[in-house]
Amino acid sequence: MNFSIEAHGLIRTFGGIPVVDDISFQLVPGEFLSVFGPNGSGKTVLLRMLAGTLKPTAGSVSVAGNVTDKDKCKWRHKVGFVSHQSLLYGQLSVEENLYFYGRLFGLRDLHERIPERIAQAGLTDRTSTPVRNLSRGLKQRVALIRALLHDPEVVLLDEPYAGLDAHASAVLRDQLASLKSDRRTVVLVTHNLGQGLEIADRIAIQFRGQFTEIDNIEKLETESFERFYRNTVEAVE
Amino acid sequence: MTYLRLIWAIARKDMMIELRTYERLAAMSAFAVLVGILFNYAIDTSLVRPREIASGLIWMTIIFGGMLGMGRTFQLEEKDGTIEGILQSPIPLDAIYLGKVIANFVLLTVITGIIFIVFGGFFNLQFADNIIALVGIVSFGILAFVAINTLFSAMASRSTMGESLLPVLVFPLVVPIVIYGSTATSRLFAGRPFDEVTGNIRMLAAIAILFLVAGAWLFSFVIEE
Repeated sequence: MNFSIEAHGLIRTFGGIPVVDDISFQLVPGEFLSVFGPNGSGKTVLLRMLAGTLKPTAGSVSVAGNVTDKDKCKWRHKVGFVSHQSLLYGQLSVEENLYFYGRLFGLRDLHERIPERIAQAGLTDRTSTPVRNLSRGLKQRVALIRALLHDPEVVLLDEPYAGLDAHASAVLRDQLASLKSDRRTVVLVTHNLGQGLEIADRIAIQFRGQFTEIDNIEKLETESFERFYRNTVEAVE
Repeated sequence: MTYLRLIWAIARKDMMIELRTYERLAAMSAFAVLVGILFNYAIDTSLVRPREIASGLIWMTIIFGGMLGMGRTFQLEEKDGTIEGILQSPIPLDAIYLGKVIANFVLLTVITGIIFIVFGGFFNLQFADNIIALVGIVSFGILAFVAINTLFSAMASRSTMGESLLPVLVFPLVVPIVIYGSTATSRLFAGRPFDEVTGNIRMLAAIAILFLVAGAWLFSFVIEE
């Protein structure tokens, strides 16, 4: 079977303490995995290893069949990463930030692609606005354009709802739904159980660096999942 | 070609941000002018001929002024977390380093120009006759300095000690740059022929190449977590 992303025995330690402890999973194209977990459970570390910005202490990650530490550049075209930080330069405008990242990905049609994506996100009137002058919600929209500019197969999202108001959250939810309808493989790390559950095909709880995947989520309701989540986390604590 | 484009993308972005904020340029040029003024009043010209010590003072001002700005090379990336975005892209790590070196080189070249104008004015230095040799010495000297400083600045940005660590790491390595740069510059100020400084220019070029190659190679160990 062709997997979009495969993690095998991922371990990451800091000062000898395992923050991610032997995590393995595979996602097929178009699957949406939501990962929940309390603060300090290693979710961001896991996502950074999947994005290739942090080396695993042991284990491996493959993206579309390419082992990430062996083929250093090729697979990066297939991954888009949205962090809880915008990863945008505040001094540069929306357009300048996108041109910069577009050049790093070696994209040639930036003059057509960038205005089109900005328009799709409803940010045409903010094209020349320095990113530092944007609200958190607008910054997050630009961050999503940045992450999807090179049309990645796999999208990794780290707490994208953090700091967003209700309207911005709704806009983001629509954007995540469109990722799913575009058949992109998505890993979403979030604290927000309702939003993460609503859109996911698969869910997992990460706690103390370990992964517990939950089966049969079709029938799972937010309230019962919240109860289950609390019990799972409290049981381990 | 693509590799050069990537280097240019990094350099262009850094220069663009500098031209928007003038953060480093303003601090470094103010430092250069103030140091020039202080040296002017600190030297008793009845005992010392300023022209004879000017090259040493100029090179020390370049080094200290350079440290002031170069230490902040990766500050933006750390502050906004943009280093994660860059590392997630398919750019080779040495291209990030070389892009940063180019941006820093351009910045320090501007500052060095200001330093020469300030010191030239205060100490009545004549360097128009040997301008090509002087450009060669200064260019290779600051390229070597920037190459090593950019690498250590990346290291310092990832350390809890930050900028305070930078001088401790960099100063021992800039000793040969100061020796060859300062000696050659003072010979030119004294009106000696070009032949007398070609050896120094070659040494500075060799140091610059060595530091650039080592920096590009070591950068990946510094930046990857």
